[in-house]
Amino acid sequence: MIINRKFLLTRIILLTTLVTACGQSEQATPAAKPPTQQEVAEVTQQTPQPKPVQVTEDTRQTYQWYCSQCHGIKGKGDGINAKLLTVPPRNHTKAAYLETRTDEQLFEAIKFGGLSVGRAPCMPAWEHTLEEDAIHSLVRYIRELCDCEAL
Amino acid sequence: MKTLTTLILSGLLLSTPASAGVLEDKNCGSCHRLKAEETEKGFTGPDLHYAGNKFQPEWLKHFLNNPEVIRPAGFVTDPGFLPKTDLPPHISSSKEDANALAQELMDLKISAPTPVTSEPLSKGLRARIKYQFERTFGCISCHQSLNLAGKIRGGISGPSLVNAGNRLQADWVADWLKAPETYTAKRRMPRYKMEPDTLDQFTRFLMTLKKENIK
Ligand code: HEC
Ligand code: HEC
Ligand code: HEC
Repeated sequence: MIINRKFLLTRIILLTTLVTACGQSEQATPAAKPPTQQEVAEVTQQTPQPKPVQVTEDTRQTYQWYCSQCHGIKGKGDGINAKLLTVPPRNHTKAAYLETRTDEQLFEAIKFGGLSVGRAPCMPAWEHTLEEDAIHSLVRYIRELCDCEAL
Repeated sequence: MKTLTTLILSGLLLSTPASAGVLEDKNCGSCHRLKAEETEKGFTGPDLHYAGNKFQPEWLKHFLNNPEVIRPAGFVTDPGFLPKTDLPPHISSSKEDANALAQELMDLKISAPTPVTSEPLSKGLRARIKYQFERTFGCISCHQSLNLAGKIRGGISGPSLVNAGNRLQADWVADWLKAPETYTAKRRMPRYKMEPDTLDQFTRFLMTLKKENIK
């Protein structure tokens, strides 16, 4: 766990030097800043254990309603905001990448936002919008989209 | 008793010459929800039944006479969030009509949000909230706003906030961030649970966004 946290922190620090914000970057963007206390605190939050869940019609609708704005209707990372973000929304049909992420990491990315797993802040946190069960089923749905499991 | 009231009411209605009002005359209700009683589904334009809570009257007058694009991807109702193509410009009304329409719109209210301050933020605080707007909360992923160089940037799935400070009422902005369900049952914006201080600062930050600052 300690190694894991260190790793995440390094990722965040690395990331802040690369990404300043989520809007299409401009030459005049301000200098990168280290993560705030709050961001670091988010990283060290307890990892919730995912449990087996089903993908239902509800899951698909939830994905379409909220996630497709960035990830696209079919999860290919081509939603209407996609071209306007500094970091492109992840393509949820790409097995090669998603195999390298655990279900817990995907769960945390959805619940606490991209920053919490060392990814870009352009991926918002859904913790106050979606129930945990809905998030677990979204993780399963993404596994369906990529037709892959964590290695 | 009831019939008496109805009689008096209909008498009152009949005695006002310009029928039910300009909004009705101009058929604005064919695209916009103007009454809370109407169902939320099926309109091709944004809800206006709380226009009096949401907009600044001067902005309304200006917009109705001289419309501008607020939602670059259109007012998307499609569940899969398909952007609209070849958007027709909003109908524009004469200055006179625009003023009358704005006045009627300002009477449409559904809530009484707690008054908040819209006092400008100090420079330091403004930089901090801007940082949170872009990073901690990722608002810019879905909303256009202005960067430090005064250029427009950001996502387009949410309404543009580039002119929020001229367009929206501070009280409404704070209420939207606190209790969005008061206005729309199902939203596409994530829900945030901001600390009261943060909420106050975000509201004041949004009120500093004005199109005069575009460079
Ligand atoms: C405002 C745009 C936006 C929305 C809306 C959005 N995402 Fe994302 N998402 C992103 C971006 C950008 C990334 C890529 C982050 C990176 O690679 O640094 C991402 C990455 C992800 C990842 C991969 C994280 C990882 O480990 O690499 C998952 C899983 C994910 N999103 C799920 C979702 C789900 C589920 C929803 C809907 C509830 C959603 N996203 C809504 C922008 C968005
Ligand atoms: C053909 C459908 C249609 C008609 C008719 C119509 N509108 Fe609109 N209206 C729209 C759409 C679509 C938008 C969103 C435009 C945007 O976001 O760029 C809009 C936006 C607005 C807004 C800004 C609302 C917001 O939340 O940003 C106001 C105010 C408004 N209309 C008032 C009126 C009035 C008053 C009338 C009658 C004179 C009218 N509209 C007639 C479709 C319509
Ligand atoms: C995933 C995309 C997304 C993110 C992230 C997001 N919003 Fe929104 N926002 C929307 C959408 C879409 C709407 C239109 C109403 C709806 O469907 O929720 C909206 C509406 C609004 C409105 C009302 C604007 C109007 O004219 O009606 C304000 C103000 C606002 N958002 C501010 C914010 C702030 C501040 C943040 C960050 C704390 C934020 N938004 C983050 C998508 C987003």
